[in-house]
Amino acid sequence: MEPVFEANLILSTLLFTIGILGVMWKRNAISLFMSVELMLNAANLAFVSFAFQLGLLSGGILVLFIMAVAAAEAGVGLAIFIALFRVRRHIRVDEQDLLHG
Amino acid sequence: MFLLIYSLLFALTVIFALGVLLFENTVKSAVSLIFTMLCIAANYLLMRQEFVAFIQIIVYAGAIMVVFLFVIMLLNLREPERTPWYLRNMRYWAGALAFLFFFVLAWAIQVFAVSDVAPGAAALEELRRESGQAEVTQLATLMVTQYVVPFLLTSVLLLVAVIGAIVMARRKDEDGHEIVLDEEEEDA
Repeated sequence: MEPVFEANLILSTLLFTIGILGVMWKRNAISLFMSVELMLNAANLAFVSFAFQLGLLSGGILVLFIMAVAAAEAGVGLAIFIALFRVRRHIRVDEQDLLHG
Repeated sequence: MFLLIYSLLFALTVIFALGVLLFENTVKSAVSLIFTMLCIAANYLLMRQEFVAFIQIIVYAGAIMVVFLFVIMLLNLREPERTPWYLRNMRYWAGALAFLFFFVLAWAIQVFAVSDVAPGAAALEELRRESGQAEVTQLATLMVTQYVVPFLLTSVLLLVAVIGAIVMARRKDEDGHEIVLDEEEEDA
């Protein structure tokens, strides 16, 4: 039997909504980043579901590109957080109000 | 049987994702995110995207989450997350907006998605059978022919990210000079 296409899309939407809630509720920058990863995963799931439903291979390729971008984002973002933590001793995003740290 | 497994997977994915949202402890949140990613990988396997599933496990649940856990360990965020007064009301508005977003998307999926015919899945099987190639081979061929420009751009992006991460993580004093590590104690 095939996986249910609509259920997968609903699952993807749910994950994306949870990611949005995390981005809006959390104050810790790392929790925020993990919510963004969750949203990227939701998008990946939607891509693969559509690829499977429509019989295309491009979905998998787009997922690979998204993963590369996510890896780059995690590397640079976490380096920024470490630099920020050295200056401020915390990484609460709502208290960062200076562009030069 | 399939439906049972799929429902279990659906429920587990949502529960672990909620764990990412609701755990106060960042480490627990990260571990929950790892399990969410493993569940999504299992979902990919059900959709016969084996290569993508294993890359999901290796790159996402492996590499990226290890970096996250490493940084959490490095920063050692001990203090509990307390919400200041000016953010409490915002939470309700944010929640309402997010659920509005969810219901609009779910409505759109109910209206526009067509799941009773799955010609694509059958077409994919047919394509795979008649070409006699594995999924990896087909993906690789597509990647170096049709998607060669994004592929090359991704390599440039990764190079920029590596250089940027090194530049950001370097220590500097107030004047922007490099700090020699031998002359000071390690504290962070």
